[in-house]
Amino acid sequence: MAFLRELYLRLRWLAGQSRFQSELADEMRFHIESRAEELESSGVPRTEALLRARREFGSRLKAAEDTSGAWQMQWLEDLASDLRYAARAFRRNPGFALTAISCLALGIGANTTIFNITTSFLFSEPSCRDNASLIAIWEGGNSGASVADFQFLRDAHVFAGMAGINPEREVNWRDGDRTSRFYAGTVTDDFFGTLGVPFLLGRGIAPGETNTAVLSNQVWRGTFAEDPAILGRKLILEGRVYMVAGVLPANHRSVVGFGISPDIYIPVAHADDNVQFYARMPKGMTLPVARARLLSLFAQLDRIHPKDGWQRSGRQTRVTGVTGLDRLRQMMPGVVVAFFAMLLVVVGLVLLIACTNVASLLLARASSRSHELAIRLSLGAGRRRIVRHLLAESLLLSVLGSIAGLGIDIACAKGINNLALPVPLPIHLVVSPDWRLLWYSLCIVFVSALLCGLLPALKAVGKDVSHTLKLGERQTARAGNLRSVLVAGQLAVSIVLLTTGFLFVHNLLRATSMNPGFDVHHTIWAYMRLVPEEYNDADQAKQMSLVHSALERLDSLPGVQAAAITQRVPLNDNCVTGTQLRTDVSSTPIHLQYECNNVGPDYFRTIGIPILRGREFTAADRKGSQPVAIVNESFARTVFGKSDPVGHTIATDFANDKPKLIVGVAKDSRYFTLGEQQRLALYEPYFAHGEPINLHFLVRAAGSPANYVKPIADALGRLDSTAAIETKPMDQALGLALLPSQAGAVMLGAMGILGLMLAAIGLYGVLLFSVSRRTREIGLRVALGATPSDVLRIVGRQSLVLVGGGMLAGLALAFFVMQPLAMFLVPGLSTLDPTAVFAVIGVLGATALLASLAPAARALRVDPMTALRYE
Amino acid sequence: MPEDSPQLLPGTLYLLILRTLAAGPLHGYAIARRIKERSAEVLDVEEGSLYPALNRMLLKGWLRAEWGTSETNRKARFYSLTKEGRQQLAAEISEFDKLVNAIQLVMKTA
Repeated sequence: MAFLRELYLRLRWLAGQSRFQSELADEMRFHIESRAEELESSGVPRTEALLRARREFGSRLKAAEDTSGAWQMQWLEDLASDLRYAARAFRRNPGFALTAISCLALGIGANTTIFNITTSFLFSEPSCRDNASLIAIWEGGNSGASVADFQFLRDAHVFAGMAGINPEREVNWRDGDRTSRFYAGTVTDDFFGTLGVPFLLGRGIAPGETNTAVLSNQVWRGTFAEDPAILGRKLILEGRVYMVAGVLPANHRSVVGFGISPDIYIPVAHADDNVQFYARMPKGMTLPVARARLLSLFAQLDRIHPKDGWQRSGRQTRVTGVTGLDRLRQMMPGVVVAFFAMLLVVVGLVLLIACTNVASLLLARASSRSHELAIRLSLGAGRRRIVRHLLAESLLLSVLGSIAGLGIDIACAKGINNLALPVPLPIHLVVSPDWRLLWYSLCIVFVSALLCGLLPALKAVGKDVSHTLKLGERQTARAGNLRSVLVAGQLAVSIVLLTTGFLFVHNLLRATSMNPGFDVHHTIWAYMRLVPEEYNDADQAKQMSLVHSALERLDSLPGVQAAAITQRVPLNDNCVTGTQLRTDVSSTPIHLQYECNNVGPDYFRTIGIPILRGREFTAADRKGSQPVAIVNESFARTVFGKSDPVGHTIATDFANDKPKLIVGVAKDSRYFTLGEQQRLALYEPYFAHGEPINLHFLVRAAGSPANYVKPIADALGRLDSTAAIETKPMDQALGLALLPSQAGAVMLGAMGILGLMLAAIGLYGVLLFSVSRRTREIGLRVALGATPSDVLRIVGRQSLVLVGGGMLAGLALAFFVMQPLAMFLVPGLSTLDPTAVFAVIGVLGATALLASLAPAARALRVDPMTALRYE
Repeated sequence: MPEDSPQLLPGTLYLLILRTLAAGPLHGYAIARRIKERSAEVLDVEEGSLYPALNRMLLKGWLRAEWGTSETNRKARFYSLTKEGRQQLAAEISEFDKLVNAIQLVMKTA
């Protein structure tokens, strides 16, 4: 506090300097005149009195200077002059300044970019008015609750406003004779008004409106080409007419967070739809109060409309904020957070390498300036003053590096904002610089300035002045040792980075080449999404006949070998059931978790999963017939041991579930991710259950699947023109399964390469510098008869010691710090991956060789005469 | 200025100014005058160090300065103690007592 007040007073002094000076002059004049009057009253004549008073006072100028000196911020003025001096020095030596600034720019750019991505993904501030008073309500788990519950809460008027959204719906958009699919958010009455969402064009969906829609900015820009007359345009969504009421701005971040941003928003249609609840707390309400009020409302609701086996007012009900750690804990899996934390550590290491480079450049500079510094010291410059001056140089470097780094960051952010992630989720990141980035960059500037500058500065003033003055700059070799240590450390850190990068690249290769257990090279996936309103008959006869005629048409396409319908496409969607299972071979039920899927006839033949025993489903397995099931090997082994499960029955604990006869055993395959541990799976006939809206067809064809994409889409399109159809070869549909490995490989591979590059620059610099230092020695040796191979041995030994030491330290370091990375890897790949270790040793060895070549060549060219003439 | 005027102990100028101002606001000349009178003309505060000291004390927040009219009807700058100034005075007095006692002990016994 005292410091702040002092700073405030000093700044006020700076602002009113001229007034202060004149007031001080007044004050001194008053002093002198008072003294003179005193003397006069004791009998001294007026002029004599004045003279004596002035003499007694001494130099008024000096007093004034000393007095203003009390107020001046010496350090600020010193800093300004140091910075001016440093800037002048850099202009004289642009090569040095450019190298140092680009090293720092790369390191700082990588840091701010990753930081920016991390904060905008994990901690994005929703684009709403007064986020602090908004809360998210979780009735249980992470999914929403029914609109009926929402209306009950809203009508209780405990909160200042309530908003509900389901951000994961899909709608079909009919545009002329084309139908495509949007990710839609269905929202409750006055969703945008309650949250206070700003609009680019138009307005939100007004209360009571059932046929207006709001467009996201990416759809307005992409699909509608920034049509300025978009407001009022009619869109046919799900067979109904909606009018565009508004367009969201480009920097809109949804209240849901984590980049989730639907393409289009429409009003919620049914009372049994699920929505996530958001509420605005009235002034003065706190989270615990909100939760208490909510629990009592839920208790009422439990009495009026009890839910099966579920207490809304139970302990699982949570109230969280809509930003920050609170939301993160509620919604994000720990492994994602850990991944971002790891990225931040990795870019921190890259920055460390960059700073080491600059430090070693500054060391080289300081040792060639040691003569100048020694003279300044012997002329009476304070050591602290010189350290400060050298630190100002590194501060200027890191400020300039940060500015360039922020440029890199802004360019990257632009790229990311236009990036569509290959995942079946409406995720769209808005990455833009914000106050968090500003603080982070400021911290980075100071940390890197200290990292770069402190060691060289201390080193520079630590020497014995007279010794340096005597020897000149030639023989002060101790800085060279320090530089070697720095480079070895840098190599060690870059080994850690590179090993991590290689590990993740290897992980990606492993994941890509992993056999999913089914054939992705000859299959095509066609997703046909029907409009629910067109197929709302209770017995689903209409869509069942559509499915049958679709399968017939697909089967009759030339080249098609088989076609099947399935409820879920593996590696894109999964459903895990956990239940008590009873069999006819044992009286005790067992608890199992297994993957479930409903598949049509010929599914296994189409997707290429072998049936090991029994048969696959046929057209006869449908509603009303004997319930049957097919299990995978692991399921069979876990439940029936070594005996053949075909012919046995199993029954789940679910109500209305009849015992199912096992008719076949399918080979194990992958269900959700390629790297998953082998899971149990249970298949049931598609036509025994049905899935009316989202139809997934799989087609097996001879030849390249790409040739079949259009014929299949056309064939399906002719059946229902309101359906949205997306067709792609199966091998392009593994995005979700591979995304974690790809993201890891790209990010960490890039960081590894960046680290290696920076370390190579450092190594090159040190070797080159040391060769130029030893020019005289080498020349002497050549003159005494050393052969070129002797000279190479001298340079080679030095680089070998550096690289070898760095590598050993780095491998030991990598061994320890990489242990926690195991959670990101596919099974069977260890963090001590020998492939990665050998690759790293190879790459680094080659880099070291390249970095030593130029210095070695220079050493060979040393002319003994020139070298000796230096003496 | 008498030649035999003793050197002030470092830091005691602050103490003297604070103590002088404890009785009420004074201008710079009066402060110097008062210190000289009270020390039976032994302590003569140099003007060249009085004003820098006053300004440093303003900066530390111990003093407050206001323009007013002097007894001779001139415009003068009056200094007075702030709350922190009073606390500082108490602290410095006890520090000083300790120091003087210690010195006296050494003088008597050593």
